[in-house]
Amino acid sequence: MSAAFSISDLSVSYGKVRAVKGISMLAGKGEIVALIGANGAGKTSILRAITGLTRPERGEIRFDGERLDGTGPDQVVARGVAMVPEGRRIFPFMSVRDNLLMGAYRRKDSAGVSADLDAILDRFPRLRERIKQQAGSLSGGEQQMVAIGRALMSKPRLLLLDEPSLGIAPIIVREIARFVTSINRDHGVGVILVEQNSRMALKLSSRAYVLETGRIALSGPSSELAANDDVRRAYLGG
Amino acid sequence: MTQVLLNALVVGTTYALIALGITIIFSIMKVVNFAHGQLYMIGGFVVYYFNVVFGLPFWFGLLMSFVIVGALGIAMELFLFRPVMLRVKREEVTMLLAMGTAVFLESLALIVFGEKQRGVPPIATGIVELFGARLPTGRVVVIVVAALLIVALMLFIGYTKTGRALRAMAQDRDATALQGVNLKWLSAMGFGLGTGLAGLAGGLLVAIFAVHTGAGTAVSIKAFLMIMIGGAGVLSGAILGGFVLGVLESVGYALLPGSMTFLIIFLIVIGFLIVRPHGIMGKPWG
Repeated sequence: MSAAFSISDLSVSYGKVRAVKGISMLAGKGEIVALIGANGAGKTSILRAITGLTRPERGEIRFDGERLDGTGPDQVVARGVAMVPEGRRIFPFMSVRDNLLMGAYRRKDSAGVSADLDAILDRFPRLRERIKQQAGSLSGGEQQMVAIGRALMSKPRLLLLDEPSLGIAPIIVREIARFVTSINRDHGVGVILVEQNSRMALKLSSRAYVLETGRIALSGPSSELAANDDVRRAYLGG
Repeated sequence: MTQVLLNALVVGTTYALIALGITIIFSIMKVVNFAHGQLYMIGGFVVYYFNVVFGLPFWFGLLMSFVIVGALGIAMELFLFRPVMLRVKREEVTMLLAMGTAVFLESLALIVFGEKQRGVPPIATGIVELFGARLPTGRVVVIVVAALLIVALMLFIGYTKTGRALRAMAQDRDATALQGVNLKWLSAMGFGLGTGLAGLAGGLLVAIFAVHTGAGTAVSIKAFLMIMIGGAGVLSGAILGGFVLGVLESVGYALLPGSMTFLIIFLIVIGFLIVRPHGIMGKPWG
């Protein structure tokens, strides 16, 4: 497997608290990799370190041969990595359209931007109906569509999804899951999926890492992990 | 009365420019820039120097008031506010920093510009009759230019990529960074835009009123009043607050003995804030 994305020996600390304690992980080109674990296991800290929002204490993060660590969020986006943050973090007082266009901030090809905007609105017709509405007035599921659409507007090669199913109606979770699978399959976008909904994460991904208090406790093909007794007991509810 | 309202329009449009500047800074940095009036005063002196001392056209001076005071704002953001805000999270600290900057700028201005009142030659001659009232052409020009600047600013914020990013940054800094925006660059730019507007307002008004180094404090307080009236952090509120204060002030000066006007305005604003603490257009949650 050619590892397009790799993390080696990453540590992240907040003050004296070490949230991530020397983890390493890989993701192949166009692979969906899941990162599961309980609340506070360090999942979000890893994503924040990848995007450059948090400066890692130690370790190396690489994507397509380039170092991501130590560059800053704008450079990470420029290198083809986009994140859908936990809680969606859409811009509530901006229209749906402006939210989506924010994702294309670094792009210069205006024709390509409007084509991609159209494609996303075709995929989520509800957003087309609400294109002029303030994004804050949308339902949770619609906001999640905006957040994912916004991330895709940067034309990423790697998409980081932080808890996309959190607080969202099950029917929309399924729609989002289908969408993630399709962009992965059709456009070869790699995905790192952080989820508390482990069942969904293991179903969508080809490989997974199980995180426990800042360390990787287990890793392997998702189908094997889903069959693993410890994983079943701890994360899949028996 | 028409005369009074036309005067209110002159004051209101320039006040709106001042309020817009302080609002941009407040919404992107969560800093109330109490040095805004001092930057306005420096804008006035910039125009005086270019126009009177160097003998260049007034309009070139006005452009330079935006450029120079804007650059001053960028320097303030980079070397004063950013390092302080990285270390402390409490809001009072940046307020004190802004007040300290105001005192510093005013003292510096006194040393550099002296204590004399300075004005520029009239930018236009003649008198225009409007709705039965008479207004010097110069004042009409000021109204038109200020209104054009406000429209240009609203178009910039509403419809350009950078304007959109400024709005995004005011709502969620981390999420804005995740879209590939270089926040360091954009905050400095936004701060510079806000102070540049203070410079423009000062530069424009020096065409009507003379400027002196002590003029800033009153403007800072008025700018603060305007955003309290209109609603902190909302651009439409800033414009409204500017006009409301402009009207109150002009009507007050026409009908009341001079020193009474602001006493009454403050009482009105206090009463208003008790009823509506987040201003006319402001949102209760900030």
